[in-house]
This record gives sequence, C-alpha cells and structure tokens, in this order.
Amino acid sequence: MTSIAGEVLLDVSKVSQTLGGTKILAGVSFQIIDRVRADVVTGQVVALLGPSGVGKTRLLRILAGLDAPDAGTVRGKDGVELLQGSVGFVFQDYPLLRHRTVRSNLELAGRIAGMAPADTVKRADRLMETFQLAERADFYPAQLSGGQRQRDAIAQQIMQPRQLLLMDEPFSGLDPAALAKVASLVVEVANLDDLNTIVVVTHDIRTAMVVSDTVHMLGRDRSGGKIVPGARVKESYDMVERGLAWRRGVEQSQDFLELEREISAKFQEL
Amino acid sequence: MPEAKATKTGRPPGIALAFLPNRVLSRTTAAIVIAFWVVATLILWVALPWKTLPTPLEIWRALGTMWWTRGLGPELFTTLKLIASATFFTVVVSLSLSYVTVLPFFRPLVEGVSKLRFLGLTGLVFPFTLMTGGGYALKVVLLTFGMATFFVTAMAQNVAEIPRSEFDHMRVLGAGEVRIVWEVVVRGTLDKAVDCLRQNVAMGWAMITMVEGISRAEGGIGALILDENKHFLLAEVYALLLVILVVGLAMDYAMGVLGNVLCPHARLGRIAR
Ligand SMILES: Nc1ncnc2c1ncn2[C@@H]1O[C@H](COP(=O)(O)OP(=O)(O)O)[C@@H](O)[C@H]1O
Ligand SMILES: [Mg+2]
Repeated sequence: MTSIAGEVLLDVSKVSQTLGGTKILAGVSFQIIDRVRADVVTGQVVALLGPSGVGKTRLLRILAGLDAPDAGTVRGKDGVELLQGSVGFVFQDYPLLRHRTVRSNLELAGRIAGMAPADTVKRADRLMETFQLAERADFYPAQLSGGQRQRDAIAQQIMQPRQLLLMDEPFSGLDPAALAKVASLVVEVANLDDLNTIVVVTHDIRTAMVVSDTVHMLGRDRSGGKIVPGARVKESYDMVERGLAWRRGVEQSQDFLELEREISAKFQEL
Repeated sequence: MPEAKATKTGRPPGIALAFLPNRVLSRTTAAIVIAFWVVATLILWVALPWKTLPTPLEIWRALGTMWWTRGLGPELFTTLKLIASATFFTVVVSLSLSYVTVLPFFRPLVEGVSKLRFLGLTGLVFPFTLMTGGGYALKVVLLTFGMATFFVTAMAQNVAEIPRSEFDHMRVLGAGEVRIVWEVVVRGTLDKAVDCLRQNVAMGWAMITMVEGISRAEGGIGALILDENKHFLLAEVYALLLVILVVGLAMDYAMGVLGNVLCPHARLGRIAR
C-alpha cells in the first residue's frame, strides 16, 4: 500500500443538523489522518466519545451518506464525496437479513459489490474463520447468539473492499470477556490495511482509549448550568502523541490512568 | 410461597401440569388432553337430547352414499379447481399491488383497492355477471375479489411496516433500489405473505360454498349442499360440512408446510421467542 504520511482520510467539516426544530449537531469538525509506522501495517481507529443522546448516531448516519447534513461537508481521501454504500456501517442492533444464513448474508454483500463469485465465497469463508462463525455458516440470524450476530454483522460490512467502517456502540451490553474480544477485533480489522479506518462510537471511556489512536469527545455547551442544544467536538486526544497507542497492556500504565481520570472528569461535565 | 418452591425444586408430574397456568406440556400429556376433548365431544354428540344432529354413523353412511352415487369426488374436484384458480389470481394481484406500494404514486390506488373489501360480494354479483358473462369466470372473479381485497390490506400493511433500518442496512451495503426491494420488501416479507395467504385461503374456502350457490351450473360442493338442503337431507348436509372442514384443515396444514419450506427462518424466530 502506498500512502503519503499524514494524508487526510476523512475530513468532517462544520457538520450541523437540526431535527424537529432542535439543533442536534452544531458544527462538528474533525479530521482523520493516515497513521504511518515503519514496517507495521497500521490502520486508524478513531473513537467518538459522548453521552447518550448527544447525536453520535445521527453523526454516523451523515458520515455514511444515509442523511445529508443541513450544513457542512464530509469528504474522504483526496477530497472525494462519500457516497452511500462506500462506507461500512455496523448499526447498533446488528441488522442482518433474517431470511439468509450467516454465509449467505456475507456472500450477498460480496455480490452487491460486484465481486467475482469465487472471490466472494473465498472471502466469506475466510471471514467466518476469523470471526469464529465457520461452524454457524448455515445458521439463520434467529439461531445466533448476540455476539455471533454482532460478528456476522461486522463481517458483512467488511466483506466489501471498503476502507472506512463506522461502528455504533459495538461495546455496549457486552460482558468483560466479550468486550475485550470485540475490542481486539476492532484493532485487528483496522490493521488489515494501512488505509483502513474505523470510527467507533461509544460511551465506554476506557475501551475507547484502549482501541483508538484518537479520541474525540462530542458534547454540548452549558450556559449557567443549562445545556445549550447542538453537539460539537469538545476535546480531542491524540493517543499516539501521548505514547498511549499501539501498546499492549497500556491500560495499566500510569499515563493511561491519569488520562482516563481526566477524560472521565470532562465527560461528567458534558 | 409453596407455589414458587414447587417451580424451583420438583416439577409436578404429568397431567397435573395441564391444570397449572402457563405451562408447556410434554407430547404425551398433550395427546392425552386432546384425546379427552375428542372423546368428550363424541359423547356429547351422541348423548345430546335434541335430534337436529345426526349420529356419527348416519353421517358416515351419508358420506358413502354421496361419494358413490352423487359424485361427491368430481364435485369436490370442481370446488378445489375453483379455489386454486382464485388463489392463483389473488396471489398475483395482491402481491403485485402490495409490492408496488414502494412507489408512492401507486399508494392511493392500493389504498382504494383495500377499501373495496367493505362492499361485500352480494351487491357485486350483478355487475360482475355483466362483466364476465357469468359461469365459471364469474365465480373466479367473485372469489378473487373477496380474497384479494383482504390480502392486499394485510400485505400492504406488512410492507408499510418494514422498519426503515432494514432499508438503511441494504443501502449501506451499496445495494441499488431494485435489489433492496427484492431483498427487503419481497423476500423479507415472504413469511408474512405466506401467513396472509393462509388466512385468505381459509376465508376463500369459507366463502366458496356461497359463491358456488350464486352460479350453480358448474356444480361444486356448494351447489351440492344447496341440493341436499332442498331435499331436507340433514345427514348428507352434515357429511358435506365434514368434508369441507377436513379439506379446509388439510389446505391450512399444506400452507403451513409451504411456509416452513419457503421460509425456514420464520419458524425459528417463533421458537426463539
Ligand atoms: N428522527 C428524529 N427526529 C427528531 N429528533 C431525533 C431523531 N432521531 C434522533 N433524534 C434526537 O437526536 C438526539 C441524538 O440522537 P442520537 O444520535 O441517536 O444519540 P446518541 O448520541 O445516543 O447516538 C437525541 O436527543 C434524539 O432524541
Ligand atoms: Mg446512538
């Protein structure tokens, strides 16, 4: 993969949205820059952290091209507009086609993308292997556990050769063991390609810090204790700059714990 | 509480479960319960004081007479052919109309067709006779009208109720609108379509004797009933009712099987729930 260091992979600029007369997003801006490490394939993982109801899902829908912002722009690599279908999106409720099996859900994604039939089958097989779904290949979604559904939904989104993947609250409702697994899966998927970028929406501060190289905190302003409608990026934390990215066991380090406390304190104020 | 304790430790055995609320019975116990009701019904039937109801034996004999001397077989076949044609046209018309509601232009049309169900059949016999020239075509049209107006109502509702998230899911995968309609609207609601069909075939079957009475020339089991009525042959009428019931149940069962074959996932969802 050739990539110029520091290339902008996603540029979100002053995105605003008003729904039903209420301002939801008020000029959300952030960029995702290609992270480059010598000799290591390094994708990007960006966490969008924010309290419930702040507008995280609405923002993802705009990034995915499902909704148009009232104002502002979203641009991909080389400034291209992101079209519907060019961005993967793992919805919070892990939708799958319930009349299709695990395998068939994956193969459909390949077929839609126009992949050759042989490639489709091969890639679906490999993904089912990676996501521990091989034994469930012929099961229908109704026969899967929550975790299996989630993995199939993620696999379906990365069946197609796309480099931007959005995940809405992939960590919520998981037990600690499952959480750790999904977290490492996110990192693994991101690192499959230098240009892969995963945007994870979460309200889990610790996991956000563990998986990502950048944390953006979405929040609303307060004036005299009252919330002013309209979310924007209130704080950004560059985990690479702080030496907290790409490190095994980083969550035990003093720096990590300190930053976690700092972010938690900020989060409380949102 | 002793009740709560019983649930936790030993579960009450066998038949006692049938008298506790919200329990699931084993196959054997369920069979025993069903057998009880069948026997009870038979006893009640035979022991009933008033004599409008022929005995099972009389009905059985009447059934034999009808089959061997009055051509019950061919008449039944005529009726089955009628319901089959009407069902075919109902499915084609209703599903097309329901799926086409994805285009806003057609929604008022479908809405209108759905409202026609309030007309009922009796008043339509005359205009439909003029249109079709009567006979077999009239019966097919009447029955199709009766079934399709209800089928469209239910099925268009099913299509309208597809959550937006299912469309978004396919859009995110980059699917075109035609593929989305096929996957989400057509295949995604196929289990519901089979359910609708099942309901409507049952309705059609219930209407069929009436429709056959409107135009009796081609015969059919409905015409046969009216004949027996005229001659006050009570046992024969009950024998025909029995045939109608059994064939109706068989068709319903067949629809259930069809549903399981076409949409195995639907049954799984029900069990999981
Ligand atoms: N279709 C809608 N119409 C009006 N308001 C909406 C709509 N969808 C979401 N909202 C509001 O937008 C805000 C942000 O929602 P959402 O993005 O789902 O929050 P979250 O950050 O928890 O994902 C919420 O206050 C919600 O009530
Ligand atoms: Mg949300």
